[in-house]
Parts: sequence; structure tokens; C-alpha cells
Amino acid sequence: MTSIRKNKWFMAALYILVFFLLAEWLTPVIALTETGHKNLFLIFIGMSLIMALLQVPWWISGTVKTLYVLWFAVYVYTDEVFFTGDAIRFLWDNFTNDFSALLSQDWAGTTDIFRTVLFFALLWMAVYLIHYWVSYRLSIFLFYLLTVVFIAVLDTFSPYTGNTAIIRIMVIGLLLAGLLHLARWLERHHIELSGNKIAAYIIPLVLMVSAAAAFALYLPKSDPIWPDPVPYITSFSDQAGSGPGGEVGRIGYGVDDSQLGGSFIGDDTPVFKATVANGQYWKVESKDIYTTKGWELTENVGDSFLYGNGDFISTDFQPGEPALRDNALVSMEQSFPFVLYPYGTESILMDQNVDYQYDSADQRIETYIEGAEIEPDVYEVAYSEPLYSLTALQAASDEDLAELPAEFDRFKQLPAELPQRVRDLAAEITADADNIYAKTRAIERYFSTAGFEYSQEDIPVPEEDQDYVDQFLFDTKTGYCDNFSTSMVVMLRSLDIPARWVKGFNEGELVDQNGEEEIYQITNNNAHSWVEAYMPGVGWMLFEPTIGFTGASAIDFDVETETDELEDPVMPERPDPLAAEEEEAAADAADSGPSLWSRFEQYTEEHRKAILWSLAGITAAALILFKMRQKWLPAVLIPYYRTRGNNASTFEKAYLRLLKQLDLYGIKRREGQTLKSYASYIDSFFGTHDMTKLTQAYERSVYGGKDETVQWQELKESWENLIKQTSG
Amino acid sequence: MKSKDRLNAVIDNIEKVIIGKRDIAELSMVAMLSHGHVLLEDVPGVGKTMLVRALAKSVGAEFKRIQFTPDLLPSDVIGVSIYNPKDMEFHFRPGPIMGNIILADEINRTSPKTQSSLLEAMEEASVTIDGVTMPIPKPFFVMATQNPIEYEGTYPLPEAQLDRFLLKVKMGYPSPKEEMEVLSRAQLSSPIEDLEEVISLQEVLELQEEVKKINVDETIRSYIVELTRQTRNDPYVYLGVSPRGSIALMKASQAYAMLKGRDYVTPDDVQYLAKFVFGHRIMLRSEARYDGITTDEITDRILAKTRVPVQRLVGQ
Repeated sequence: MTSIRKNKWFMAALYILVFFLLAEWLTPVIALTETGHKNLFLIFIGMSLIMALLQVPWWISGTVKTLYVLWFAVYVYTDEVFFTGDAIRFLWDNFTNDFSALLSQDWAGTTDIFRTVLFFALLWMAVYLIHYWVSYRLSIFLFYLLTVVFIAVLDTFSPYTGNTAIIRIMVIGLLLAGLLHLARWLERHHIELSGNKIAAYIIPLVLMVSAAAAFALYLPKSDPIWPDPVPYITSFSDQAGSGPGGEVGRIGYGVDDSQLGGSFIGDDTPVFKATVANGQYWKVESKDIYTTKGWELTENVGDSFLYGNGDFISTDFQPGEPALRDNALVSMEQSFPFVLYPYGTESILMDQNVDYQYDSADQRIETYIEGAEIEPDVYEVAYSEPLYSLTALQAASDEDLAELPAEFDRFKQLPAELPQRVRDLAAEITADADNIYAKTRAIERYFSTAGFEYSQEDIPVPEEDQDYVDQFLFDTKTGYCDNFSTSMVVMLRSLDIPARWVKGFNEGELVDQNGEEEIYQITNNNAHSWVEAYMPGVGWMLFEPTIGFTGASAIDFDVETETDELEDPVMPERPDPLAAEEEEAAADAADSGPSLWSRFEQYTEEHRKAILWSLAGITAAALILFKMRQKWLPAVLIPYYRTRGNNASTFEKAYLRLLKQLDLYGIKRREGQTLKSYASYIDSFFGTHDMTKLTQAYERSVYGGKDETVQWQELKESWENLIKQTSG
Repeated sequence: MKSKDRLNAVIDNIEKVIIGKRDIAELSMVAMLSHGHVLLEDVPGVGKTMLVRALAKSVGAEFKRIQFTPDLLPSDVIGVSIYNPKDMEFHFRPGPIMGNIILADEINRTSPKTQSSLLEAMEEASVTIDGVTMPIPKPFFVMATQNPIEYEGTYPLPEAQLDRFLLKVKMGYPSPKEEMEVLSRAQLSSPIEDLEEVISLQEVLELQEEVKKINVDETIRSYIVELTRQTRNDPYVYLGVSPRGSIALMKASQAYAMLKGRDYVTPDDVQYLAKFVFGHRIMLRSEARYDGITTDEITDRILAKTRVPVQRLVGQ
């Protein structure tokens, strides 16, 4: 150690600044955790720093600090002021209690005192670390930066306001950094300065920092340029559903649909498992009011019906033939106070005595026990898929629509602001269709033929004056189920066809097969929305406009005509259903999906921007790391060579590595310069004899051919010393 | 190391007489130990003779001096057979060359014929008279001096002859301080008289054998070859250093390494000696003389740009 570190006044000034910096850490922690006795903690920090400054032997300082911590516990948690018998008994009781709690891993069973002691241990560590940085490394930048980040983060995300704290930190940090820079500079150049000269450096430093602080304080400040990031970030953590106003949501079943749009990120959290004969769409509810931004439900319409276990539940969908009846076993993995039911549901069975309340307003089946909501666990649904007669469907015409009773009006309502071009488009699509069913199918198919794309990313939320459907149909043409289903409902309604927007889950992923039965895993990724439309004379029918999805109503082809339209009516041509399926459940491995390569291509195609940016980011990071290798390489090299064998080849490699490191440091060896003259230059530069010592051994080994004389273990210290110098 | 101490004892001894010229003394030892000879180029009166005499005295060798003049004949150098009418036979009267340490003063003042008689003797370490070859006693060390070329009335040595000298050394004037010391020592008596033998001739021969064992690593050899190769490619150079020059550099480096107490040669040895080995072996083009470039500058330039080997050669 050279003179500057021995200058007690200088070091004391550093430690005082450090004390204030640490106090800035402590203040918000104490304030936010509602801990008292801040002064006692500060005394602990101050005491630790003073002992570090005075270089008190560790066994003294350790004892003093431990006693202080124990005294703190006694003073704060008991009425005692000194270590009386009661106090010691109190401490001992706590110790045994905490010890046994820890042994039994009962973390909650530990006492407050234990946590206080842990906090003190943390402070102890912090003081030691910063002491190390200031006294040995003569560097504070990292800690300084962390402090600023810490306060900034707390200021942003917690009730703590760091307005003045940040100024204090800036001032303290700049002073510390400036003084440490002086110290490092003096050490590097082996300069011994008198107190006067040090003052001559420090006074301008202090003046400049205070001038900068004064300017910063009194200059007018502009408002933040960036919006408060907190709402944005909290939108990430919002659970399922298209949350209001959020830019990015997490996929899943949600309650609030009044504001649709925005991107989704996948979420493969399981929702339930279904054991069924084949995959079903699982309906939850429907909504009827389109608001130009999303969906809401008309209040106070319809009736509620109560059913018991196994009672026949009358939904809007008549079950199909009894011969086709099946039972589905649903085991929930998330809790909802309602039943997810397949189309054609007849009855539901649960091992509790549950009331099923069917609401005709939104077709939701809620579960109650004695009037209180319950969340079903496992239940069995008897259902039979509805079958629709094509003849009957084709018979329905526009006249039948006009005769529908008034209760269907709410399924035909549209906002007055709906742009005319949406209506025009609907009319255009259905111009060639001569019956209601044909019109509905034309709209259902429109999306797969008009260049629409399925995507969950970069989907905008409509602006204030924008219509959600209009935006999708004419601007973006890219979206997910909500876009497709809402658009279809709106277009149907513009043609006076009653339609409603339905939410639930699609069939999910087939995970197992048990004889006739198939087991499906439904995750949040399978949350879905689709369309129900009313066909006069037939009833409500399910339609699936979203491209890539396979839901459809079963049609009984009871028509004896040769119409080419009907050759493949159930599965109309749709572009690669798997593509969308994969996006919906990105994490799921498709069992019969496209080859790995094409999936890779598709992935790169879709994420080209992200891939390019991350590649650029990685390259930039690698470049920076490479450029800065002089700084971090020693930290890698020292442990690497420390563990190598004690032989000449290790030493030679280490020596050559040192030459490279010195070169990076900036002391270049000229082409024709011998190692010996280079070594003496290095030594004169760093004020050591290490390089000459190493070079002699190296020359003996390489030029003299005397590998056996090399004692790497003995040279290691010199080598490490120089390597460390180069990283400074 | 023992050899180092003995050599340094000799050099210390010489330094008692020749003040401030330790490097020259060292180089003389280097040349002697590697069976070479030294060409001293300097003006008269800087202590050349004194140096050689001190060296001879320190190693207990016979010192001979040949003053080269324009009328000197080869027989004056190597000796002559004289007819003795008493026993009616020719008796060989050895010339001054038949000694251990010879000072050949102002070698470029004599005719090429006489010059070559000396140089042949130096190369062969023997003389041939009337068909009889006679070996010169060992060790044999010639220190020739020549006046700088620019002086009038000189017969410059041909390149081939110059090559026979291991090193060419310039003595230079002493610094004022050194010169004052010279004066004070010369005031009472000539210090050379008090010099004592430090090592024996036998020991010199042993050291000469020892020098051959000094390790020259492959990397050093490649370095030496690269340096000499560079002299042949330099645009200013008319005639570069010959392979004999490479050998000279290696041998001199070995001796120098021993002098420094090492049993292996380092690039520092090679670099230090390159100037003395190359100086008289590089013939410059006339352009160099117009540009004021000297052989020393050429050597420095080559040393600066040739990469010093710092790693083992691959495959070792």
C-alpha cells in the first residue's frame, strides 16, 4: 500500500461519503418495510465503517458487531436496556426456537428477532463489500450505479419518493468517484502527494460537484418524456382475458370483453382435462351487445332456470339422436364458478348436491350449493351433438327472418356508428347466396378466401374513433379468434340474421387415448371465441369463422340434389389449419405436424424482426465483451491458470497470455523488442520486479531448453500480480 | 557460474588499464573465446595497443605486435627460413605471427600481399613456408587495427578478407571524466606493468571448448538466419552478410552468453552482437552513402523490424 491509502484523513473522508451512500440504501428499505429504529441501524453501519477504517482486527470488530446486534434485539424486543439475566434468557429462547424452526424448514416459524439478525448480517456484508471496493479496489462506480438504479426503481414502483435522495446520491457518488480516481491515479503512477496537493485536487472537485448540483437543482425541469412504465408492466401480470386498455394481454378465459384487441402471449397453464369420445368446443357463455370496441351483455333480460344433478337441462341447442349420446368427464385444473359444457348438453352430474343455474341471457350454467357459488372440481356431462337437417336449413329465407319474435332483437342490434362499408361488405359477400344458411356460410368462409391472416402478435387496439370490426376487415386483416368471430357476428347482424358472440374453449390437445375415449388437455391457449347464428326454422347453430379452427355443426345431408357446393360442406377449404393451431398452442408438439425444418422456417419467417434484432443484440454484446476483454479476461484467467499443473507448458502459456494482456492494456511490445527489454520496461511502468522474474524463467525455459527448472507455483504470485495490474 | 567469474576477472583486470571501455574488453573476450579475431577501427592513440597488451598479460599469453607499413613483406609476418652454412640447412626463424595474442597495427597501411599473408594465417591457424606447414600455438587471437578508410595512403581490405574477422569494434574517445582518470593513472607509472595473470592459457582453451556447449535454441538459430537474410534483401545493401557471418553471429552470441553467466543464448545476445558482426560484412550501395546511411543504421533497422522469437517453434 502506498501513501494515499495510509492518509487517514483522506480515507476518513471516503468512509464518511460511503456512510451517507449506505444510508441512502437503508432509508427506503426501512421506510417501505415499516421498520423502526433507523438510527440504531445507522449506528451499526457507522460503527462498522469506523472499525474498518481503523483496521481493527477482525476478532474485535466481529465481537463488537455481534454484541451490538444482540443488544439491539434485547433493546428493541424487550424492556431491558442491558444484558440482564432476563435478556439473555430471552435471547436463548429465541435462538432455540429459531434453530428448531430452521431445522424443520418451518420458515414462517422463525421469530422477528431472527429476521432482524438476518437484516443485520446483510448490512454487515454490504459494509464489508463496500469497504473492500473502496479500500482495495479504489473503485465505486458499480456500487454507485446500483444505488442510482435501486433508488430509481423504488421511486418508480413503490410509494417511496426519491426526489431528494437521488440528488444526494449524485453528489456523494461524484465526490467518491472523484476522490477514488485521484487515489487510483496516484497509485498507478507511484506518486506521493503532500496534503496540500491533494487539497488542490479536492477543492476544484468539490466546487465542480456542488456547482453541478446547484445548477441541476435550480434549472427548470421538463416533464418525463416517457409515460409512467408501471401500468404497462402491470398489464403483463394481469391474468387471463383481454384486459381493459392493455397493450399486451395473456391469453386465457376472461370476463371483461368490453375492449377487444391487442396482442397476446401464449400461456400453456392447464385449465381442465376432458375425457370425451371426440374433441368438443366447450361453451361458457355468449354476449350480445357489440359496442364498436368489444362485447357486453344486456342486463336484466332472459330467465334463470335451476336444475339438479342429472336433470335434463334445456339449452338453446336440442341434443342430437339419443343413439349418439356420450358422456364427457371434465376435471378442472383451474377454478370457475360455472360449468363448461359441450354442444347438445343434456344433463350434468357431480358428486356434490349442486344446483345448476342456467341463464338464458348468456347461456351460462353457474353452480351453487345452497345459494353460494361453488367452483366445480370434477363433473360428468351427458350430451349428444346436435344434428341439423340441410333441407330445413336451406328452406329458411329472408321472409322467415322478418317474422322472428321480438326477443331476437337483441341479437340483431348494432351500434349506429358502425361504418357503412362493413354492411356493404356483408351484402357483397352474400350477394350470390339465396338462403339464410348459404349467406351465413358465405360469411363464415369469407375470411379464409380473402387473404386474412391468423396472428396473436402486433394486433392493435382500436382507437377512440375506430370500429374494432372495421379495423380488422379493412385495415389489419390480421387477428385472432375475437377478430374473426366478432366480425362475423357483426356482418350477420347487418343482414338481420340473429347472431351472438360465444366464449369458451376449443377442443384442446389430444394427450391420451383410452379405448373409445380420448383425453384432451385444455390450456389457457385454448381459450376461444366463435359464433352462434339463428337459422329460422332450425334454431341456433355454431359457426367457426376463425381460420385454422375446425369447429362446426354437424349437418345431416338429407338433400337428394347434386349440388357441388355440398361435396365437402363440413370441412370447407381452409388454409393449413395446423399453422394457426401451433400459434394457439406454441408449446405443444403437434403429433402430425409439418416437418421440423418447415416449422423452423415458419418460425423464422414470423419472428424475422425479433431474430434479426436479437442477433444484432448478441453481436453487439459480443463485440463489446470482446473490446472490453482486457477488463474481464484476468478474472477468468487467474482461476484458470491457478488450477493448472505445475509444469513448464502451463507457465509458458500463462506467460504468453500475460504478453497478450499487456498488449491489450496498451503497453505494446515492438516487433524487434526482446522479452528482456520489454520486461524491464513493464517493471519500470508498474514499479515491480515481477515481469523480469517471469521473463528470466521463461527465457530459461524456451531459449535454454530447461523446462524442468520452471516452478510455476512459485512464479504464480508474480504472474497474478501483473495480470491484476492489467485489468485496473 | 565459474566460467563467468573467470571471464569477468579478466575483464576487471583489463579495466584497470583501459578506463571506461568495458564493452570493448568484453567483445575482445567474446572474439577470443569463439576462436575469432577482432578488427579495431579507430584513430591512433585511444588505447588499442594497451587493450591488447592488457588482455595478453591477463591470460598469461605471449604478446606480439606487428606494425604494418607499406614496405612490410609477408616474410616479415610469418617468418623466414635462413640458410645456416654451419650445418648446411635452412632454419625457420618464426615471424611475429607465431604468438598467442597478436596486435596487427594499421593493417590497411600495407600491401594486399602482406595483408593476405596475415589473414590466411588467421583463417588456417597455421603457416606454410617452403612447403612445410607449421601450426600456430593456441590460443591464437589477432586484434587488427585499421585507420578509418578515409585516411590517405591505405589499402582497403577486400570483402573476403574482412569476413575473416569475427567482430569489428570501434573504440571511440573516452569521456572527459574518463580521460581525466586516464591522466591521473598515467602520471606516476604505466599501470600495465603491474597487471598480473588472472587465468592461464590452458584455462582459455578450456573456456573455448565450453563456449561450444552453450545452448542455441532452434528459435535463436531461426532468428539469426532471419537477420542475415534481411541484410541480403535490403535495398541499400550491395553485398549482405554471408553464411559465415551467420556462424560468426551464433558463435559470438554463445561466448557472450557465457560471459553473462548463462548457458543458453537469448535474443538479447544476438541483438547486442549483431552490430559488431554485421558492420564489416555489409557492403553498401553508393545510394546509401548519398543518403548518409551507415551499416550500423541498416543493422538497427533490421533489428527493429525483425520479429523476436518469443515462443517455441511449432513441433518442438
